[in-house]
This record gives sequence, C-alpha cells and structure tokens, in this order.
Amino acid sequence: MAISAGIDVGSGAVKVVVMQDDDSGHEAPLAQLSARIRRREIAKVAAEVFQAAVDASGVDEIHYVATTGEGEDFPSATGHFYGMTTHARGALYLEPRAGAVLDVGALHTRAVAMDPRGRVLDYKMTSQCASGSGQFLENIARYLGVSQEEIGALSMRATQPEKVSSICAVLAETDVINMVSRGITTSDILRGVHESMADRFARLLHSLQFEGPVFVSGGLASDVGMLAALRDALNKKAAAGAAPREVVTHPSAIFTGAIGAALCGLFRYKKFGQGSVAWATAPA
Amino acid sequence: MATRGEDAGRQALTRAAVVDRAREIYDDLDFGVVRQWLAEHPGGKAGGYLPVYAPREVLHACGFLPVGIHGGGDRLEIIRGDAFYQSYICHLPRSVIELAQSGRLDMLSAVLFPSTCDVIRNLSGMWKLLYPDVYVRYIDVPQTPDPGAAVDFWAGELERLARDLGDVSGHEPGDDELRQSIALYNDVRAMVRTLYAVRQERPWDVPTEELYLLLRAGESLPPEEFIALARGYLAAVEAEPRRPRDNSRVVIVGAFCEQPPLGLIKSIERAGCYIVDDDFLLGNRFLTHDVPLDGDPLRALAAAFVRNDQHTSVLYEIDPLGKRRLMRDRVAAAHAHGVIFATPSFCDPALLDQPMLRAGAEDAGIPCIAFKYAENSGQFQQFREQAGTFSDSIKLWGAA
Repeated sequence: MAISAGIDVGSGAVKVVVMQDDDSGHEAPLAQLSARIRRREIAKVAAEVFQAAVDASGVDEIHYVATTGEGEDFPSATGHFYGMTTHARGALYLEPRAGAVLDVGALHTRAVAMDPRGRVLDYKMTSQCASGSGQFLENIARYLGVSQEEIGALSMRATQPEKVSSICAVLAETDVINMVSRGITTSDILRGVHESMADRFARLLHSLQFEGPVFVSGGLASDVGMLAALRDALNKKAAAGAAPREVVTHPSAIFTGAIGAALCGLFRYKKFGQGSVAWATAPA
Repeated sequence: MATRGEDAGRQALTRAAVVDRAREIYDDLDFGVVRQWLAEHPGGKAGGYLPVYAPREVLHACGFLPVGIHGGGDRLEIIRGDAFYQSYICHLPRSVIELAQSGRLDMLSAVLFPSTCDVIRNLSGMWKLLYPDVYVRYIDVPQTPDPGAAVDFWAGELERLARDLGDVSGHEPGDDELRQSIALYNDVRAMVRTLYAVRQERPWDVPTEELYLLLRAGESLPPEEFIALARGYLAAVEAEPRRPRDNSRVVIVGAFCEQPPLGLIKSIERAGCYIVDDDFLLGNRFLTHDVPLDGDPLRALAAAFVRNDQHTSVLYEIDPLGKRRLMRDRVAAAHAHGVIFATPSFCDPALLDQPMLRAGAEDAGIPCIAFKYAENSGQFQQFREQAGTFSDSIKLWGAA
C-alpha cells in the first residue's frame, strides 16, 4: 500500500488531498481539505491545511508529498509537479472520459488538452488580463454585495443578460458600475459577466485539438451560472461549425490539481521510491 | 595579518554567510573587491578578460588581479551601450560597453578579448579606440587540428602576452613565477572540479544558484580568497546537509558566453530540475587537467589548452560526428535525464551548434527542450513553465 499527499498552492487557496493506493491499482482519497489564503502567510496556511488533512486521513506515514501550483517551497515536499500536468491527471481521475481540462484559477485560466493517460498534448492560457479569472468574478460579486456562493444561482435567474467587456478587467468593472447605476438587476449583470468569461474560455478551448468532454476544474467549477454560460458559448461555436463540446465537472473539482499531484506522487513512489529517496541520487 | 580569504578558511562559516558574501560580490557592478585589492597592493594592476577562455595564469604572474567581465546582467540599465550595437547583436557587448562608459571598469589596466565570436573581436577594436591607455589584446586561440602546430602557435602567443603585460605592470615574470601562478590556478581548477563533482553527486546540497554565485565571485577575487571561500562553502554543505527531492537531472547547454540571469537558474531549479552539468562560466573548466609544473611553463600551459578534453562551440571540432555524440556523452557522464538548451539570443556559436547537438541528443533518445534568454531577461514564468513541464515529462513518461 502506498500513501501520498497532493498540495496545490494556488493564488487564492491551498488544497490538500491524501490518497491511498491499495496495491491493486485502485487509488482513493482518504481526506481532502482546502483553505482560503486571505492575506495570510502562504507557507503557514499550507502547513496547517497539510497537517489537518493528514490528521483527518488517519494515516501514520505519507510516502510521497507532491506539490503543485506555487508549492515548490513546501518544506516536506518529496517532489513538485507542474500545474498543467496535475490538472490533466486529476481531471482524468475525476472524469475518465475527459479530453481537456479548463482550470479556472484565481489569477488566470488555462485550457489543457491531454491524451487518455493524462499526458499534456497542448495548452492555452488567458493573457495577462485578469478578466478571465476567478479573482475578477470575486471582485464583481463584492461590488454587487453578493457572496460567492450566491453567484451561480443568481446568474441562472437572469432574463436579459448585459454583456460586459471581455477584453479588460478594468473596463469590465467600469461596465458593471454603469450597469448598477442604470438599474440593471444583479442577476443580469452576473450572467453578463459569466457570458463574457465563457466567451474567452470557449475561444481557448476551440484553439486546442482534443476528443472527449471538457472537464472544468478550479474554484469556479462549482459555479452553476458559469458552467451554463460555458455550455451556451460552446453550443454557439458548435452551431457555427465548430466541434461540439460536452462540459463536465465534479463535486471535488476544486481539488483536481491536488488529486493530480497526489496521483503523480503515488506513481513515482511505486516506480522508484519504495522506502528510500533513491530517485534523487545518481545511479551507481 | 591574515587576508579575508584566510579568515574565511579558518572560521566555520554558515552556508548562508558564504553565499551572501558571493552574492554581494556578484551584485557589485563597481567591482569593490577589485578596487580594494588594488588599494591594498600598491603597484598591482587589474586585468579584465571576456568569456570564454583567457590564460589567467599569465595575468597573475605579471602582477595583475584577473577579473572576469560578464556584463551587468539584469542589474544594469543600458543607455550608452545600445548606441554601439545593432538590435540583432547579443546583449553582452552592449552591457560591457555600458559598464565601461559609466566608469565601472576604469580600474582595469588591461583587457583580454578571447576569440569567442566576431562580436567579442569587434568589441576589442572598440576598446582600442575608446580607451587608448588600456592594454587591449584580442586573443586568437589555436583552432588547428595539428596539436604540434597548435602548441607552437599558442605558446608563442602566450610569450608575447607575458611580455606585453610585463610592460604594462613593469614586471615580466620568470619561469618560477609563472609556475607559481600555474600551480595556484591548478588549485582553483581542482576546487571548481570538486564543487562540480559534489553538485553532480548531491545536487540538492549544492544548488546551481549557489555554485554559480561562488564561481562569479571567484572571477573577481584573488585566487587564494576564492579557494578559501569555496572551501568554507564545502564545509558548510557538509555541516548543513539538505534533503533530496524527486527532481529530474538536467544538463544545461549553450550558456558559455553571455551569462543567464540568476533568476533563470533559480527558475529551472524551482521547476523541479537538478542541474547536474552546465557550461556556465566555462573558462573556469576549460583546462580539464592540471597543467604540469616542470619544463617550460608557457609551453606547458599551451599544451594543456590544446590537449584538454573540453568540447565547446568556440573550439573547432575535428571529428565531424563529435558534436552529435557530445550530448550523449555529457548526459551519461552526469547521470542526467535530459538536456535544456538555454542559449543567449543572437549567440552565433551556440545557436549554430544547437541543431547538431540536439539531433545527436534526440538520436540517443535523450529528451530536450530549448529556449533563448538575454542576460537582462526579467520575466521567468515562460522558462519555469517549460522547465516544469519538461521535468514532469521526464519523471512521468521518461526514463527517470
């Protein structure tokens, strides 16, 4: 039996998963926990969440601690894996049919095409502008006085969505302020923001070649309004002749990177690390 | 009175203290340690040299403190330097001109320009025009496949260099003084070989960022001080061991002249790669064996250059298949998993060789990636991304 931990240090939150491999090739999470960073020291948050996840898992020993995201400096890490790799691997664990993963993070969004083994084939990222990120949506929600948990449901109630700038977060935020002063409903504003972001994501996805559904990971995977807007945007693209795309997600989608890291760690441990750190030494 | 180097050798320095000292020297674009040495050694001279290989022993024997000139990296804004070079020329010469034009190299009485490429040669011409009071020498190292002729030629060049430098310093060295300098630089090279060997064996204990800072400091410090500092570092490494990580082992190729910014080296390491061989500051390792101390010292130095095992883009490769084999041999020697071609933009020698080197590596089944940098590159995300995914692919899909 092998046990690994995956630690995904994002710009908004730390996610930790403890996974077990029972030697028959079956991997299962024993614990998964996350915490928002909220201006706290990232290393401290990561250490606390890691310890809490280990405690919750009830295991005595972690054979491989795998980090991803910004977690390179985690002191007890065994190895680090890049975000694209771990999201691809984690997405396939949560949805084995997935052909691409859309990771909507706090600061940027990344579309990754992978093969059925989780090997990254191609990727595209949103540019420097924050208008395609979770942080942008969080800012808009704060201006509108709604909590993050309310965003999806409110967006789904929209009747006449108002489009916002899909190019620039600053312009989009100005758009939103204007809409509020014009009396546009919160639902219509949020749906407009979702549609604007979804258009960008659809463009990213359509610039990649892949087979199978799109798996949405990251914090926005639980935002039903965003998922609906993304499905609409992809359907519009399909109606215009592009390949139809199915959008799927999972209740644990926020842990996709951490799950992927933990799986990569299990793979490495089973391949080389049984009881030693031999992988890091020069072969004799 | 003990020198700073002797002090460093006696006291048990922490790793952080040694690295901080090296970083301080690296960061100082005014070459404070060189100016301090000149102040403490009346009559002494400072002699600069550009990459890749310069015979530091000859400078030293003639009473010069050899000083490596590697530009201002990412710590110098180029204002005057751009007026001297077109935009399609690499960054190093404009940065070196900037250092000189801002007075930061005014302590140099001589500057040696090795035959690395046409750009460095043209820089030597500019120096002659701009600084007529400074001894300027373009060093044409031998490229002939005939070892006998090469040794004859290079020994003659070294004799001429020793005479010229002797004229500048007022001290032409005798054979014994040359042997003493050669012996000292044999010690420097032995220390560098030890550092590289320890890094190759335990790259987690000797991060390349730290090794690089030490070597950069060594190109401004007197050789004895460098040896003492490096000895202190190795002692600190033994006293403060670090935990290994599951990283891939890579060889970095192409950075032998214009040096990468420190942030690039750090980014590659942070992305999950242990750098186990490289060609940074290659002049330190150009002579692969000790130079014999018997016989004619300059001829011995010349023979050591001609008969060394160093293969690089600035030396003619006699064997037409040699470059195709080179990566396979280096990767095997370093027990590495892959090669990162990190090449300065517009570096003709490195970029001309890269297709041959890469083809040879890929024929041997060695994973490779390539990117270009400039010494003042400031955004490392793309390098980190490439190195990170490369490391993952080696660990998850490759032989590692």
